[in-house]
Amino acid sequence: MTNSREQVYLWHRFTLREALLLGFCATFILLTRAGLRLHLHLPGHVMFFTMFFYLLARGCVPKIGAATLVGLIVSLGSLLLGMGTKGPAVFVKFILPALLVDLAGALFPAFVTSMLACVLVGAVSASVRALADTGLEWLSGMEEEVLLRKTVITASLFALYGGLGSLAVPSIIRRLRKNGLIDQGSGS
Amino acid sequence: MTKPAIKKPGHKLLRSSDYACQYMTHDSPVHRLGAGWKLALGTLLSALAVGARTPGELLALVTVTLVYYFAARLTPFDLWRDTRFFVFQAVLIIGLYCLLKGGDKGLWPGFRQSAQIILFYIPGAVLLRTTRTGDMMRGLRRIVPYRLSFLVFVSIRFVPFFLRELDEIMTAQRLRGARLLPRQLVDPRNWGDLFHCLLLPLMVRALKTAEEVSLSAEAREFGARQQRTFYDVSRQAGQAATAHLKQNTVPPCSHMGPEAGKGLL
Repeated sequence: MTNSREQVYLWHRFTLREALLLGFCATFILLTRAGLRLHLHLPGHVMFFTMFFYLLARGCVPKIGAATLVGLIVSLGSLLLGMGTKGPAVFVKFILPALLVDLAGALFPAFVTSMLACVLVGAVSASVRALADTGLEWLSGMEEEVLLRKTVITASLFALYGGLGSLAVPSIIRRLRKNGLIDQGSGS
Repeated sequence: MTKPAIKKPGHKLLRSSDYACQYMTHDSPVHRLGAGWKLALGTLLSALAVGARTPGELLALVTVTLVYYFAARLTPFDLWRDTRFFVFQAVLIIGLYCLLKGGDKGLWPGFRQSAQIILFYIPGAVLLRTTRTGDMMRGLRRIVPYRLSFLVFVSIRFVPFFLRELDEIMTAQRLRGARLLPRQLVDPRNWGDLFHCLLLPLMVRALKTAEEVSLSAEAREFGARQQRTFYDVSRQAGQAATAHLKQNTVPPCSHMGPEAGKGLL
């Protein structure tokens, strides 16, 4: 909960405490990415925890730009820790889904407490990540039909894992709110 | 009886990295290049990979990219580590082309596309494998605003802390009967335990830690000014010397100035 004595730290919006909390959400995404890349080799599975923490970040800090800030920190952290296998494209693949989460938050501020809305936003945002690869393939001259089919396959896998990861967010947000650990979700 | 493992002489040389894009300490011409040069060269090679269409162009680009990669004293095993993520993509693309155009006509375009995608990403892998995190951080500080770079470094700094927390929470919850073993988590019915017994307490810990760190930083007036402040040791030393000369009892602890002592932090 925001203390009236706290100063605004970033983007005229977030206090230092909120910014740090979002930074920790980014830490968890980095941790799960590092953990998953060692054990699983399933395409799209990274979106399971990524979408979970994006939505959780939006629920804990109900302000526009919360998920985008997490995405930005994850992108920069991935590059610094050598996890950015795709080079600068890592920014697109992390920030695009985060922007969509923030857009959903701007349109429906209370969506993080609804399971259906969370799954929908999680699946759609995760599938958008497939566009990061699609852009490159389109530039390199891939045929439209192949491009479309490949995008549908990868986007479906991303959406599946993103949706599954988003399932648990509403119950966790409700429990955190019930214990007075986070804002009650007035939004801004 | 089991045979003792015999390591071949070249074993360590081939299997040199633990994960993709891991920084490798070598003395190579690529390592000695500045991060900016590597970024420029990588961007050029990636742009050429996007534009390559004919077999000749592609072959030339493969040669140049591989020369660049192996000039960094990286091994074929490192190359496999860095590009294996794209194997699934390659199989999918070639499969789709063959499905749509037939085996003969679809094989070359599918292969060309897959090769272009792999070639696009290899220069980025070379940058990560040959550039120290410290060098990248120094470069980052010039571009990214200090408030944002502080958050990035704090989130990286807290990786070991949260790993320890995760381990402690996991041990405690397992003792209480939570199904958190890796083989138990394969079953989706146990994912409830993962979220409610592991990730929820971890989030509570993150909330508390954010509160403590922000209080600690704000008590030191961190973020109070638009410009980055630095710990001014020279001013402190000067004042301490003056105080010593005047035989005052206690020298001041610290001074913050917007531009002073810039090289220290």
